[in-house]
Amino acid sequence: MGASLYQIVIRTTILYLALWLGGCQAQSSHTAIRFALATVPSSLDPRYATDATSERINRLLYARLVDFDEQFRPVPALARWERLSATHYRFILRKQDRVFHDGTRLNADDVAATYRSVLDRRTASPHYGTLKLIRRISVIDADTLDFFLDHPAPLFPAWMTVGIVPKAAIEAGRPLDHQPLGSGPFRFVAWPQAGRLELERVSDGQRLVFEQVHDPTMRVLKLLRGEVDLLQNDLPPELLNWLRTRQGIQVVTRPGSNFSYLGFQLQDAATGKLSVRRAVALAIDRDAIIRYVFRGAARKASALLPPEHWAGASLPFIERDLPRARALLAAAGYGPDHPLHLVYKTSSDPFRVRLATILQQQLAEAGIQVTVSSYDWGTFFGDIKAGNFQLYSLSWVGIKSPDIFRYAFYSQSLPPAGANRGRFSDVQTDHLIDAAMQSNDLQQQAALYRQLQKRLLEQLPVVPLWFESQYVVARKGISGYRLAADGNFDALSYVTRR
Amino acid sequence: MVRRLAILVLLAWTLVALGGRWLPLHPDRMALPHILEAPDSAHWMGADDLGRPVLDRLLVGAGVSFRVSVLVVSLSLWFGVLIGSLAAWYGGRAERLLVLVMDVFMAFPGILLAIALAGLLGPGIDNLVFALTLVGWVGYARLARAQVLSVRQREHVQAAQALGTPSWRIIWRHLLPLISAPLVVEATFGVAAVVIAESGLSFLGLGVQPPDASWGSMIRDGVRYMLVAPHLVLAPGIALMLVVLSVNLLGDQLRDWLDVRSGLREQGRER
Repeated sequence: MGASLYQIVIRTTILYLALWLGGCQAQSSHTAIRFALATVPSSLDPRYATDATSERINRLLYARLVDFDEQFRPVPALARWERLSATHYRFILRKQDRVFHDGTRLNADDVAATYRSVLDRRTASPHYGTLKLIRRISVIDADTLDFFLDHPAPLFPAWMTVGIVPKAAIEAGRPLDHQPLGSGPFRFVAWPQAGRLELERVSDGQRLVFEQVHDPTMRVLKLLRGEVDLLQNDLPPELLNWLRTRQGIQVVTRPGSNFSYLGFQLQDAATGKLSVRRAVALAIDRDAIIRYVFRGAARKASALLPPEHWAGASLPFIERDLPRARALLAAAGYGPDHPLHLVYKTSSDPFRVRLATILQQQLAEAGIQVTVSSYDWGTFFGDIKAGNFQLYSLSWVGIKSPDIFRYAFYSQSLPPAGANRGRFSDVQTDHLIDAAMQSNDLQQQAALYRQLQKRLLEQLPVVPLWFESQYVVARKGISGYRLAADGNFDALSYVTRR
Repeated sequence: MVRRLAILVLLAWTLVALGGRWLPLHPDRMALPHILEAPDSAHWMGADDLGRPVLDRLLVGAGVSFRVSVLVVSLSLWFGVLIGSLAAWYGGRAERLLVLVMDVFMAFPGILLAIALAGLLGPGIDNLVFALTLVGWVGYARLARAQVLSVRQREHVQAAQALGTPSWRIIWRHLLPLISAPLVVEATFGVAAVVIAESGLSFLGLGVQPPDASWGSMIRDGVRYMLVAPHLVLAPGIALMLVVLSVNLLGDQLRDWLDVRSGLREQGRER
């Protein structure tokens, strides 16, 4: 009786909300594929875009020289490459599928113009830092161009992922961020308002509408009502599990590669001690969090790169061990009479605050008293970049190339030049990064990166937590959507709607 | 019947608020296996998104809303009556200035001002009480001023003045007892308004801070799980509704009881 009453309450709530939504929303077109997003893209110009949504949509609008396979190895996309010397790379464009959406052919001049524009300090492109090693670009013919580097960089091809924009558009000063013109599988149609972006598939004219629905509950209700056809990620795990039980809805998940971690300030008197960092790592019960909070939609991490990455390492996970954690704290001079106090910063996203509260409780069980401070994204990220924290949590999203280790853990990579936010400085780590960056042999590089990840797990500048799964929720009529490990939207090129 | 129910609800609210500390409550005890559990025999109102018992949090939240409403109404009443009656008694420029200030406060939506103040001062229960008091005193001051103006010409007041009774004594002994009835009724409705305002500000994250519970913050946290676990929103929502409804019902009763004219009407009907 109690259970049935509960069901009635749930159904009444859904019905009420659905009716209310129905009153608010106009009927959408029934031919387009409608994709609900939590946030809208900030820029449709690939030279400027940095946020995940913009990058994912720009992949649909623009072609790029290099892409990645399932093991995150760089593979030819618009061009194959030859390494003529340690500082000289030649890119040869493919013959087919090289047409901008205005009908002009994409050639080496467009590629050169795109990269020259990124390298122009006046453009202020966020990709400048990665690509500034390019000393000169030389166009050989319409299909071939050479890149000359300042210094050897064996991973260089993996950085050639900026979407190619037309040279004419750059010269004419076209506002590509709102009027994109690329050569990807989708052409731009309209962006009538910030929360609605319309594209068209080049191959068959299928319309695609991205619609922003900020609230996860509303996003789900719109999907149930048929106002949107697809949504991907950004749902509370419980809501995802609930959707699995709905008729007419399909849920697909796959292991993800976005790495969540706890970061320490290494210059802090407490978190600078290795025993304290180990105690924190040993106090966390990842299994319980993944089982009960993520409902299985995550997997434990022991290193930044997932094990399937070509440079990934299969390292042992740090399991919860409260007696050892307490012993390490006691060795560091902390105990019941003199407990360790830490301030844990996180963003104000409700799910992140929820995770922080759970970690606070788990650390308290080891005798570590944690104060959780949540801030809006701008303030939080500003504090993290400035090194103004003791403990924080963040995720690395869309990591493909192992040069992330130099960016995040090299002693010289302090912000703003890099992302060594905790001011980690370790001679052995630096040595391994240098050796891996200089090696030209992929096997040797992979071996060095594995050693490096083992070293990082020993030194714990960050505590590896988990890789959150990717998932897509679609109405039954949608087929052909294949999830990518990094959560990109590339599968929209094949998806069909009955 | 309805009146009895209302009294029962308010009695329960007061008892839980005053005696909550002696109850074996564990509002912050997390149990991950119980996350979003529906109401059952072990958890009468289910568990929230961190596996904490909703009933325990609801009872602790009752204490918060009770304390805030009593504090805010008492402080507002005290300052409002003091300022309003002194202004009406002494008159002059100070009174005109006060009327102007009150008009400005009344013209501005109270809850918006409270949101702005709570945002400016930072989240927290003390700042919330301060913000709501700063907004709340105006109604009492306005009422007290109007009442004092209407009774200050009465003979017994003039007699007290003629006998050289000090002003404070006249206000305390001869005016306040006369104006207290409408102020008490206003304060009753004020309690309901403050309960709603506290929940509203806590819903916006400007009131009680996690992990402490308040009805507003419970509703805010529950909204994300409305489809999966509606009890997270329904429990504090219904509690809030019952308390506000009961306070308003009893306020109405109190007003009728204290209103001399309505008493005469009743008698008239009987004849």
